[in-house]
Amino acid sequence: MTKRKLVVVGNGMAGARAVENVLARGGGELFDIVMFGDEPYGNYNRIMLSGILEGSKTLDDILINTPAWYAETGVTLHSGDRVVEIDRAAKAVRSRRGVVENYDVLLIATGSKAFVPPFAGAFTADGALKTGVFAYRTLDDCTGIADYAKGARKAVTIGGGLLGLEAARALGGLGCESHVVHLAGHLLELQLDATGGGMLRRTIEGFGLHVHTGKATTAVLGEDRVAGLAFKDGTTIDCDLVVVAAGVRPNSEIGLRAGLTVERAIVVNDHMQSIDDRSVYAVGECAQHRGKVYGLVAPLWDQAKVFAEHVTGRDAQAAYHGSKLATKLKVMGVELASMGITEPYDEHDEVIQFAEPKRGTYKKLIVRDGRLVGGILMGEISKAAYLMQAFDRDSPLPEERLALLFDLGAPPVAVTLEEMPAEMQVCNCNGVTKGAIGACVAAGNRDLGSVMAATRASMGCGSCKSQVAALTDYFVEQVSEAVPDRAVVAEDASRLDGHVQARILDDGTFSMMPDTEDGHCTPAQLLRIAEVAVKYKVPSVKLMGHDRIDLVGLPKDDLARIWNELYLTAAE
Amino acid sequence: MTLPSPAPAGTPPAASPPPAGLAPVDTHCPYCALQCGMTLVPDAAGLFSVAARDFPTNRGGLCRKGWTAAALLRSPERLTAPLVRDRKGGAFREASWDEALDLVASRLSGARARHGADAVGVFGGGGLTNEKAYLLGKFARVALGTANIDYNGRYCMSSAAAAGGRAYGLDRGLPFPIADIAGAEAVLIAGSNPAETMPPLMQYFDEQRARGGRLIVVDPRRSATARLATQHLQATPGSDGALATGLLHVAIRDRLIDADFIAERTTGFEAVRRIAAQHWPDRVERITGVPERQIVEAAHMLGEAATAMVLTGRGPEQQSQGVDNVSAFINLALALGKAGRPFCGWGTLTGQGNGQGGREHGQKADQLPGYRKIADPAHRAAVAEVWGVDPASLPGPGLSANELLDATAPGGAVKALMILASNVVVSAPAAGRVKANLAGLEFLVVSDIFLSETAALADVVLPTAQWAEEDGTMTNLEGRVIRRRRAVPPPDGVRTDAAVIAALAARLGSASSFAEGAEPGFDELRRASRGGIADYSGISYARIEAEDGVFWPCPAPEHPGTPRLFLDGFATPDGRARFHAVEHRPSGEEPDRDFPYWLTTGRVLAQYQSGTQTRRVPELAAAEPGAYVEMHPQTARGLGLAEGDLARLTTRRGTIAVKARLTPTIRLDTLFVPFHWGDGQSANILTNAALDPTSRMPEFKVCAVRVEREAA
Repeated sequence: MTKRKLVVVGNGMAGARAVENVLARGGGELFDIVMFGDEPYGNYNRIMLSGILEGSKTLDDILINTPAWYAETGVTLHSGDRVVEIDRAAKAVRSRRGVVENYDVLLIATGSKAFVPPFAGAFTADGALKTGVFAYRTLDDCTGIADYAKGARKAVTIGGGLLGLEAARALGGLGCESHVVHLAGHLLELQLDATGGGMLRRTIEGFGLHVHTGKATTAVLGEDRVAGLAFKDGTTIDCDLVVVAAGVRPNSEIGLRAGLTVERAIVVNDHMQSIDDRSVYAVGECAQHRGKVYGLVAPLWDQAKVFAEHVTGRDAQAAYHGSKLATKLKVMGVELASMGITEPYDEHDEVIQFAEPKRGTYKKLIVRDGRLVGGILMGEISKAAYLMQAFDRDSPLPEERLALLFDLGAPPVAVTLEEMPAEMQVCNCNGVTKGAIGACVAAGNRDLGSVMAATRASMGCGSCKSQVAALTDYFVEQVSEAVPDRAVVAEDASRLDGHVQARILDDGTFSMMPDTEDGHCTPAQLLRIAEVAVKYKVPSVKLMGHDRIDLVGLPKDDLARIWNELYLTAAE
Repeated sequence: MTLPSPAPAGTPPAASPPPAGLAPVDTHCPYCALQCGMTLVPDAAGLFSVAARDFPTNRGGLCRKGWTAAALLRSPERLTAPLVRDRKGGAFREASWDEALDLVASRLSGARARHGADAVGVFGGGGLTNEKAYLLGKFARVALGTANIDYNGRYCMSSAAAAGGRAYGLDRGLPFPIADIAGAEAVLIAGSNPAETMPPLMQYFDEQRARGGRLIVVDPRRSATARLATQHLQATPGSDGALATGLLHVAIRDRLIDADFIAERTTGFEAVRRIAAQHWPDRVERITGVPERQIVEAAHMLGEAATAMVLTGRGPEQQSQGVDNVSAFINLALALGKAGRPFCGWGTLTGQGNGQGGREHGQKADQLPGYRKIADPAHRAAVAEVWGVDPASLPGPGLSANELLDATAPGGAVKALMILASNVVVSAPAAGRVKANLAGLEFLVVSDIFLSETAALADVVLPTAQWAEEDGTMTNLEGRVIRRRRAVPPPDGVRTDAAVIAALAARLGSASSFAEGAEPGFDELRRASRGGIADYSGISYARIEAEDGVFWPCPAPEHPGTPRLFLDGFATPDGRARFHAVEHRPSGEEPDRDFPYWLTTGRVLAQYQSGTQTRRVPELAAAEPGAYVEMHPQTARGLGLAEGDLARLTTRRGTIAVKARLTPTIRLDTLFVPFHWGDGQSANILTNAALDPTSRMPEFKVCAVRVEREAA
């Protein structure tokens, strides 16, 4: 079978992802693939561009598809070249450098470009940006800004949206006095409500960023290079670097020139096909689906997948139904998550809100029919992972609304051994309860080893061993305390440090454990223990767990003498 | 001198001597893949009790299932005579062995004559000894001539086997002894809960943490294992592969990977790097529900440790993307340089007692003994020679377990089925359909020790000897071949599977003979495995006893066995491990408006697999008497459910009603049901049979469910 030819205009995150998806679906067998990329690189991860600006990342760190990838996968890449014309009648494209490629299927993934409003003095006579004025969109933009910032003192970013704040933060990090001027009344107006925007402003101002809201830029000042900005309210600001992050515009002129329907962007159907031409598809920021143009990565990739399923015939019904918008970002150490709408639509929408301005914490959720339709989290965002999934999946929310905002995990209650109920399971592996350990001790087992052997407690995974030991001691103590009249106190403690310690046994005799310091004693001490045991006719010497020796079956009257003999020896 | 203390652990109280012929016998637990060492000790009445044994796996520990295992030997429910039905739907009656075996042979050969050899299916079990698994595979290929044999191990470890095989060139559950776990500075466990499923294993993790090691556990539930972890990543069901790739993204970004190891000992990294580059933490957080901070911390714990292990369990494996999930975790281990080195590596914590050996020796549809490929002419010739048959007479690859069961549907390719040691009506996904299909077969014969839910559907039930009533070998999760010993003869009327196979083979006019004794069977298996990947030819019963088990491969009597694989090179032709570029994809079924919650399934400590054995042990039945649904109290509150209420769970496959157990340790969007029970309590009535394209593993761990309060 002869292969058909797929030409992809655009080598950015949408275009390259679409080609990867096509290849993953066996598209390499179906198509010869040719790509055009305006930028002279492989495909890089645009969302990591701030790392380039800050200087913490290099191109290698953010490359997704290296030049070698195109060679290995057999994809022809014309990089640093831009398609300038689509001839739909001839089914061919022509590039700026004059490359002509015929296509059977065309994918337009030209993305968008930074929008620089027509401020007076922003451009030079030949249409280039004035020296010191930068857009914030491409890898070259970032390296250009970073270079220029080395000689700059004061930088102003126009635009207080996601990208603008990111750029302003980076400029501060590069040593500039960093200002943000923003047209709207509060920062991040697409992601935050006025309360959130105000809190964010105060927080980042605390970190040294200068914020000017409700300010319309009218002119870029300076002759050869930027010297300041002028605003509609008549004020000015002097500066030597300007970054324009005032939004983007879809690169859809090429579709317009080719006679495709273009509104805000190239209009596509649910298969991501142009509504005018079945052999032309568009994905990403240059595509308009059901009236919407998306600028975030997740929707682009959803579209790329639908395109690949459809164009390879893997799923001729593959359809894109639009995406839910949610985003996370970090501005000067302030973590933010935003999803869906920022204000309730009507009085049926339930709003759950928490604000602690002092700490910069703000949480607001909008719930409709038990589902999350909007949310803002700022400062403390530990619930973001759960909430974003609930938003994405339209999952039913728990009734306890407080639990949506906070982890309500009850603090672990410390239960004393005494408070612990008798039926509480101590050893899960072998199903041994506190009560069973008590019964085992009462039946005559007085140390951990024998309790373990008799009940199997702690004989599985062993993780409960310390608790079983504590309970054993607890019950042994209880048994001793239960017979205070028979407790033994030293009769002659004058030369002893403390009291004679012995335990009463069921048969009325006693047992005594000479202290052997964790199992260590000198041969002389060991001999002494044996001699004392022989001298007092101790009926049994038991070698215990826990490195102890137990002299068992002692009559009460001998206890003090035995104790003295043992410890006098030890003291010598 | 009498000590006033109970006997030390492991020895029963002294008593009068047991009846003649009975003596304490060192063997292993009948249940999971850890195969704890135990001693069966008879008393004066001839009743056995269990004492723990200081074997290198359990080192004296046993869980509740092990301690009570001897109860199986005196269960009043034991089958002691063949059962036959004179007509479909009729009642069972007891029959003589001759009658039953004649009937089975004539019905199987009848089906073969009418529909062809492949119309007779054989379904084995991961609990069978190596010898029996070997004999069953040979029986299917030689005596029945059918391609269609597979086993329930397909439901257990097939995804790990496929991913391990393609990365390392060899599939052994763990490439190191479990004792090595204690020496790893960091361990990540994904989707396994050994604190409940194999408690004695936890002593190695305890030791690991006591030495300052870090433990990371991935699980939608804060399981008993997760509670012990340094960090618990409470991931969304079905998101494991994305999480692993997200960890790799951070490792690459933060320069934690081992570039020298990647260059010298692996191939295929670039394609994996490209995918990892597209899994930045925000994105992975949104897919997995694991907060970004935890993803970053976990990647650093693994990457900064000098030694690290990545262990997967059924969580990531029992999915329609199970193989890719495991590959994603292997990619992580390889990129960090944590493989093929001491105290490092990826492994799988397998489930069934002999899932490992069961697949090595011929129960799997595509494999011959010694892990040989049934489609490979050289492999076929080697095995045919041992069997004394023409290689051309051996059938080719057959249907995998779930496809085999699907083929029992009306109009399907399988008309008669022989099942050994497997309760598929409880353990297979979409169990309602399985039950209907089996009931409608022309002929079903089941061999088991009890009348399981599956045996109850059979035309003939053959009562078989159980674990302590016969000799054999098992291969545990470490690849250690161990000895199971006979402590007591089977009850009157009960025969061993080996005897049944030999008797049926003779009736079917088999061209090759079948060993009835365990050791002769093992010796034949050794010969058949010689030169294969799983080479057992140097292992003997005597060596196993002398050495506390022998690790395969062991190609010669003087070979020491192989406790640690891959230290000098991986088992691929070029000796390098292979990365596999895998990308997360949605599960076969995801929650939606009609079925808004995730359902996942698993095990509890006091029960084992389909419960055929453990539900009949009174202490275990009392501890966990039935299925339940675990859910978050907040989730329950919205549904009007309180602790102990009956909850009706519905998926696209069916409905069950079980008691609600509320705990804040499970995700709000996830429900958990243990799968050990049958009939109206069977979790597998709900599960989805979406299969992994490579391993054919069904998606037990992920589907979408609806919950309602069951009216009282």
